[in-house]
Amino acid sequence: MPTLDIEKIKKDVIDSQLWRSVFRGGVWKDTPRDRSAHIIGNVWLHLHPVKVRPRALSWLYTWGMGGISFVLYLLLTLTGVALMFYYRPTVGLAYRDIKDLEFAITLGKLLRNSHRWAAQAMVVSVIAHMVSVFLRGGYKKPREFNWSIGVLLLTLTLFLSFTGYLLPWDQLAIWAVTVGTNMAGATPFLGNEGPFGGVMGMHINNDVRFTLLGGTMVGENTLLRFYVLHCVAVPLVVGILLILHFWRIRKDSFSAAPYQANEEKVDVWPHLVKREYIGAAGTTLFILVWSILMNAPLESVANPNVTPNPSKAPWYFVGLQELLVYFDPWIAGVLLPGLIIVGLMAIPYIDTNPKGVGTYAWKDRKFANTMFLLGIAMWFILIYIGYACRGPNYAFYPPWQSWFILKAAPPPTWNVFGPLAGTTPFTIGMAFQIISAKMTALPAGVVPNLFPMWLGIPLIGGLFGASMLLPKLIQKELDGKLVLGGFLGAVALVAGIAAALGKVGPVSGAFMLFFGGLAFYFGFILPQRYIRTLDWPRYLVTMGLVVCTMAILLKMCCRLTFNIKYVLTIPAISLNI
Amino acid sequence: MSEPANNPAPTPPAAAPAPAPAAKPAAAVSRGDFLWMGWSALAAFFAASAAAGARFMFPNVIYEPSQKFNAGSAKGYDIGVSTKWLNEQRLWIIRNPTGFYALWARCTHLGCTPNWWGDQNRFKCPCHGSNYTIEGDVIAGPAPRPLWRAKVELSPLGDLIVDKSVLEDMPGKRELKPFFVDYVSA
Repeated sequence: MPTLDIEKIKKDVIDSQLWRSVFRGGVWKDTPRDRSAHIIGNVWLHLHPVKVRPRALSWLYTWGMGGISFVLYLLLTLTGVALMFYYRPTVGLAYRDIKDLEFAITLGKLLRNSHRWAAQAMVVSVIAHMVSVFLRGGYKKPREFNWSIGVLLLTLTLFLSFTGYLLPWDQLAIWAVTVGTNMAGATPFLGNEGPFGGVMGMHINNDVRFTLLGGTMVGENTLLRFYVLHCVAVPLVVGILLILHFWRIRKDSFSAAPYQANEEKVDVWPHLVKREYIGAAGTTLFILVWSILMNAPLESVANPNVTPNPSKAPWYFVGLQELLVYFDPWIAGVLLPGLIIVGLMAIPYIDTNPKGVGTYAWKDRKFANTMFLLGIAMWFILIYIGYACRGPNYAFYPPWQSWFILKAAPPPTWNVFGPLAGTTPFTIGMAFQIISAKMTALPAGVVPNLFPMWLGIPLIGGLFGASMLLPKLIQKELDGKLVLGGFLGAVALVAGIAAALGKVGPVSGAFMLFFGGLAFYFGFILPQRYIRTLDWPRYLVTMGLVVCTMAILLKMCCRLTFNIKYVLTIPAISLNI
Repeated sequence: MSEPANNPAPTPPAAAPAPAPAAKPAAAVSRGDFLWMGWSALAAFFAASAAAGARFMFPNVIYEPSQKFNAGSAKGYDIGVSTKWLNEQRLWIIRNPTGFYALWARCTHLGCTPNWWGDQNRFKCPCHGSNYTIEGDVIAGPAPRPLWRAKVELSPLGDLIVDKSVLEDMPGKRELKPFFVDYVSA
């Protein structure tokens, strides 16, 4: 009986012309040469370096989130292409095709679930990647540009998720997208409902929202546009940016930390590639199990006339939706997202602290870490409030409270500078109308300005400017505890007097202390302590971002405590702050 | 300047097709000017392409439903807010003691459809909590302006004809024709 010589068969196969034509290199002997040849000679692996610093291998150091984001992107491409075989992007068919995927197509439900959950997971992993890179100072010179590309990739990840949200054409989809795209209509100058939109001649059928929707409402054209953006246009751009992102990681080298004396690099094959495969396998398994256990949501078919109550954005945008309660759409929907993106991209150029490069160094980077984590915390706390604590009519319901309890109607709101809310704004157009019609009195329901807006503009501008300049102008470091204590004492005194007069309740007083204290500590004491010596341009950009963040907290406080709708409103140009 | 030697002496750049100086037949366009023109043409091409691409994204014809519809006989409405057309036409017909007006059911904040709460006598938006009176004026929440009223007319047969493409929200104007139909029931 002939024996089966496995080693000989293996050798014959590897030496065959067919094998040799496909795989470069000879018999694997696991020499350092083989290991490097495996990286250099393989088109899929050649973006890696041959050797890498051992610290770049540790999960605790990298969190593995960048790699996992890329794996999720690949998974989404695969499942997405599969779904495209059964999905037709038209108003009449889209919802039915999703139903077919759920109930009639073999593995359709699993594919849709995987696509949905992988998309949600990718949003989380991309944010976690950003947090880890920030905390270990991975964006510092010479990696500033790659951080900026990363911020763009984060934005595009959210945009991909948002465009995909519409495709099932159910109530969840159409209303999230209606709200999201109406924010585009509030863009200054370019949107028909935004500041200066009317001045620029914007109408419902020629502004930036019209191009996004391909019409005046979320309809057939919108579905097709979002389909093309979601499946072709945006993934292409993401792919191009990913190539750039990876190439710069390679060129700027892994791990920014200063070299230690006896540090020796290790082979990428197998040490790094092995970890990548483990991460990919773990991620795939995680998504698979999640998709088996839990179904993607699908509500009733889209009805452009009736809004579900309550109606919410996708969870990662619910924080912005929550801010929309306190702010005019042009601020919460356009200005703040824009500031967040630009501010994130500016971080490497304003944080020139040479310490904490490539290491988690809390002590050396107190200001940067505190401010960044404050922003991240605000983003997720707002998401929690919007997602878990908002019920019918978007009223506040604690998570344990039944939605069947009817909430009292919210109290009327008012504006500080400008006409009283609850009445029709007094506009320039109306003034012309009154003059031309020779009317002697204002129309019913119109109340003239309480405080004139010309007073509000310099007052708010002055307050903003003073908050920006003050920390730098005080040369000597203040005693933080003393100043904060004094400030809180003053607020408590004011609240106490107001409470004694019956103007402010205990809850409102607590809000004043909480928001006022937060804004004062993070917006004045910390900058005064840490960045007053920064050069003027960097100082001004940093403080601009800090003061804007604090202004969000203060505006929330104004609404919660005093029912102030807008601090300043100029109806003639649709500008509300 | 590091121009090649065979170029003419620097001439005023404005005189590009200037008459040839003297001895040598100089190029009609200097190398520097030629490069400027070339790059400018390329930049102009890209700018025009971008503008054309942007224009391409604005559809010239849109196939959206007509905004005008017959809301049925005026006799069929009682005093108060009718939600009869909300599902199909996104509109409330409101009858008061002196006549009719029609409110477009689109929240002026971000375009959700508010709900009518008769017991509290107000419209409430489910998306960000804006509240409106029966007149359409904002009384709470973030909405920046009142609800829009649509053009409404009484046909010779006694039907209400509503046109949502003609809108008005200005007090003093919105209570007049064509945004209000005088109607006192017999």
